[in-house]
Amino acid sequence: MVQLVGSLRRELAESLSTCKVLVVGAGGIGCELLKNLVLTGFKNIEVIDLDTIDVSNLNRQFLFQKKHVGKSKAQVAKESALQFCPSANITAYHDSIMNPDYNVEFFRKFMLVMNALDNRAARNHVNRMCLAADIPLIESGTAGYLGQVTVIKKGMTECYECQPKPTQKTFPGCTIRNTPSEPIHCIVWAKYLFNQLFGEEDADQEVSPDTADPEAAWNPEDTAARATASEKDGDIKRVSTKEWARSTGYDSVKLFNKLFKDDIMYLLTMDKLWKKRKAPIPLDWQQLENMRPQEESPASGLKDQQVLGVWGYCQLFQHSVETLRLQLQEKGEGSELVWDKDDPPAMDFVTAAANLRMHIFSMNMKSRFDVKSMAGNIIPAIATTNAVIAGLIVLEGLKILSGELESCRTIFLNKCPNLRKKLLVPCILDPPSANCYVCASKPEVTVKLNVQKTTVLSLQDRILKERFGMVAPDVQIEDGKGTILISSEEGETEGKVLLGFLSILQGIFLQEQEKHSDEELERDVEFEVVGEAPDKAPPPQNNQEEVNSITNGNKDSAQPSTSSKGEHHCSFCVHKQKHEELLGSIVEKVPTPLASGAIVASVKHSLQTFFVA
Amino acid sequence: MIDMIEKEDPVISEEEAAQYDRQIRLWGLDAQKRLRGSRVLLAGVGGLGAEVAKNLILAGVKGLTLLDHEQVSEDSCRAQFLVPVTAQGQNRAQASLERAQNLNPMVEVHADPGRIEDKPDDFFLQFDAVCLTGCSRDLMVRVDQLCSKHNIKVFCGDVHGYYGYMFCNLGPEHNYVEEKPKVVKPPADSNDGPEAKKAKIDPNETTMVKKTTSFCTLKEALEVDWTSEKAKAGLKRTPVDYFLLHASQLSFLSFCLFLLFPALPLSFYSVFYPSTVLLKFHTDKGRDPDPKSFPEDSQLLRQIRDDVLEALALSADLLNDDFISYCFSEMSPVCAVVGGVLGQEVVKALSQRDPPHRNFFFFDARKGNGVVDYFGPN
Repeated sequence: MVQLVGSLRRELAESLSTCKVLVVGAGGIGCELLKNLVLTGFKNIEVIDLDTIDVSNLNRQFLFQKKHVGKSKAQVAKESALQFCPSANITAYHDSIMNPDYNVEFFRKFMLVMNALDNRAARNHVNRMCLAADIPLIESGTAGYLGQVTVIKKGMTECYECQPKPTQKTFPGCTIRNTPSEPIHCIVWAKYLFNQLFGEEDADQEVSPDTADPEAAWNPEDTAARATASEKDGDIKRVSTKEWARSTGYDSVKLFNKLFKDDIMYLLTMDKLWKKRKAPIPLDWQQLENMRPQEESPASGLKDQQVLGVWGYCQLFQHSVETLRLQLQEKGEGSELVWDKDDPPAMDFVTAAANLRMHIFSMNMKSRFDVKSMAGNIIPAIATTNAVIAGLIVLEGLKILSGELESCRTIFLNKCPNLRKKLLVPCILDPPSANCYVCASKPEVTVKLNVQKTTVLSLQDRILKERFGMVAPDVQIEDGKGTILISSEEGETEGKVLLGFLSILQGIFLQEQEKHSDEELERDVEFEVVGEAPDKAPPPQNNQEEVNSITNGNKDSAQPSTSSKGEHHCSFCVHKQKHEELLGSIVEKVPTPLASGAIVASVKHSLQTFFVA
Repeated sequence: MIDMIEKEDPVISEEEAAQYDRQIRLWGLDAQKRLRGSRVLLAGVGGLGAEVAKNLILAGVKGLTLLDHEQVSEDSCRAQFLVPVTAQGQNRAQASLERAQNLNPMVEVHADPGRIEDKPDDFFLQFDAVCLTGCSRDLMVRVDQLCSKHNIKVFCGDVHGYYGYMFCNLGPEHNYVEEKPKVVKPPADSNDGPEAKKAKIDPNETTMVKKTTSFCTLKEALEVDWTSEKAKAGLKRTPVDYFLLHASQLSFLSFCLFLLFPALPLSFYSVFYPSTVLLKFHTDKGRDPDPKSFPEDSQLLRQIRDDVLEALALSADLLNDDFISYCFSEMSPVCAVVGGVLGQEVVKALSQRDPPHRNFFFFDARKGNGVVDYFGPN
């Protein structure tokens, strides 16, 4: 005869009071989740979050109040949750889950891990740790009205990385530099400009007209000619933007005229670009000042939601440049500023510069509020979506603890009911992907590279760490002697040696090369991963819905929301009609993040396949 | 009523702008202002009520009144998070007040320990929306009828173990706006003329479209003609494994019986069928199934199930034993799901933005199904 405790069967209720669970993240989903866990009867909960509380969290992260702003989310969440059930045992960590302290042994303590994250880096990491420790993981995400929950169990279901997630949207350099057609292009340009003037200069973030734009050339030979010419050309290339700005003392009017008049006039000389497009119209500071409108009374509504006139943005530009110049000066010689959407002059600068550029290119200007959304990758969030998803997480958790894994589902929360009237759509979980290089039992990846140009160090840094997200890879050559090529211990790797020089490898590599001799690597491409299509959305799943992963993280890095790198949110969820909307707010590409060292075990195996003919 | 109250106070403060930033970015400033001008009555502060209270307070309504005559019991602390563990014996609404208020000091939260049955008609008129949780059918029908007349939005909901539902009546003419992407027309002249083409219109621009929809009263939703052969045929076609619970409410029994027979879609059938059994239980015992009396209660439930099925000339397999054990009391995660959907419907209705779910939502936590369906006159 089944016995009940509350709504739960006795066995389940007992297992709840003894098992240990881990909640990764104490934000929107995390707060709701902690509440549900405690009320459902979970007694041993550990929660980890590296972030601190911000006022913008308070509309949904209900375990926090205004007085807690600035404090550790994990810590305050624990204290608030304990009030619901003082006898619960909650441990809080104000830390990053990617800290090596949280190794496989740490994960093995738990019967269940639940993610409440907002970025892909951490998700990849936890995915790998749970696979390594063989602990079930409940993954989830929300964005606006949409949400999703799923279960990941090694060997039984797809892991988080089985389906390639679309990488963040990037824009071609010439679109940013020469032919913007949407506000987002101008906003990206403005952020680049910020870095060029005040921050870390990046060769991939040029703001000046791109003379090597293939579209600009009437004849193909012209492009090459222009490219060479620009390298020799005086002002534009030789002096960096920052140096030039410094030489003028960050004079805002001079800056203005260079960026919004001279450079635009230069673009106009590239007449082929404007054959089918509306040509940009340069601005002149003096003219605008002469024509400036009378003082207007402030309109009602949020100040941030006003769209100013051109002169308004000229003034904002001037004002913010001055403030930032002072900030830079205060920081000292050789210092750099890091852009942060919550730093008012930095946000003002991008708002002004982006709007001026939009105006030049005949686009409707945007309010600071809207620019902040796009520049800061803000994803709107509300309490109810998180509440629903967190409820679903616990329900899946109960199934897992009851040993009913086969009844676990992926569940999608729609904004509107689908054709079958479903608002919540459960779908059968897919089995693991055979080619997944993370969870397959023999994970294997093929990489094409030029051994004459690739050093051991770049193999380690660019390929293993950056591309595959490994933290501390060890690489052995399958030559029968177990020769170590790369060691995670410091000082043991001969980084600078070209792979081709290592005579031991020569024979093997040459074989590799011969195989691919027909297919040259593209010029400038360091390496190419064969057989993957990370930019393609995954194919439709078994259910009637077509499922595309969207933003698994606006930023692939795992910086906290309050850090200067900007907010990153994520929903690894999937709603085709929303796909485009959310992608519209993605701005830049960020290098693939670092994952855990625990994966090394399986990676070692995969790496060996690189070198086997 | 909402339109009247609305924007005498047009400016949203900087404090509100900062706190509500992430939701203003979703539903817009106008919607937020309307919320800010709305007063809501929430009857029943159990597990479901607490979730709805939290969601509405966080959303930033003008005022929320918690109405509950019940006392805090031992179970209450397990069921909801607004009541301190030390509050046993106190009135549930009053015990919940402090934490509810702390969720958002900008909302006026009141606690009323009275019985909703004792409230005079004009008590309800001060609210823009009324949300009834854990109430009897007759009470819901009465309140719904009264509120409809005065253009007050009505919401009902309940959770029973792994099952839950919500109902809403937004009146015969509910106006709202929906945000649609702006249609970009291609240029009339598609040849390259001497004049360059226009710059591309911002694809992110949207436009607000005004819409209207109508709702029937709860009474109307309950009155369905089930005498047709078509209805009986519909019943047989329905897959047996799709059961959701509606509500264990006294006198929903008749509602459910009526609903069993018309040619109904899955959700309809699945939702109401099990509830027939629970309702009869409630009628017979005068209370809901109780975990403490599980053995006898489940025996009775099984008996009732068999009786009902026999009366409907259906096989006893349709409603299996598992169902029995899943119907007891309020489960926190189920309250969270139903409370989330219900809370968002209240927000949508008050802010007059986005199409409302019409007019029932049913949740089966065992299957993970959440279905929206319409019951009422066509």
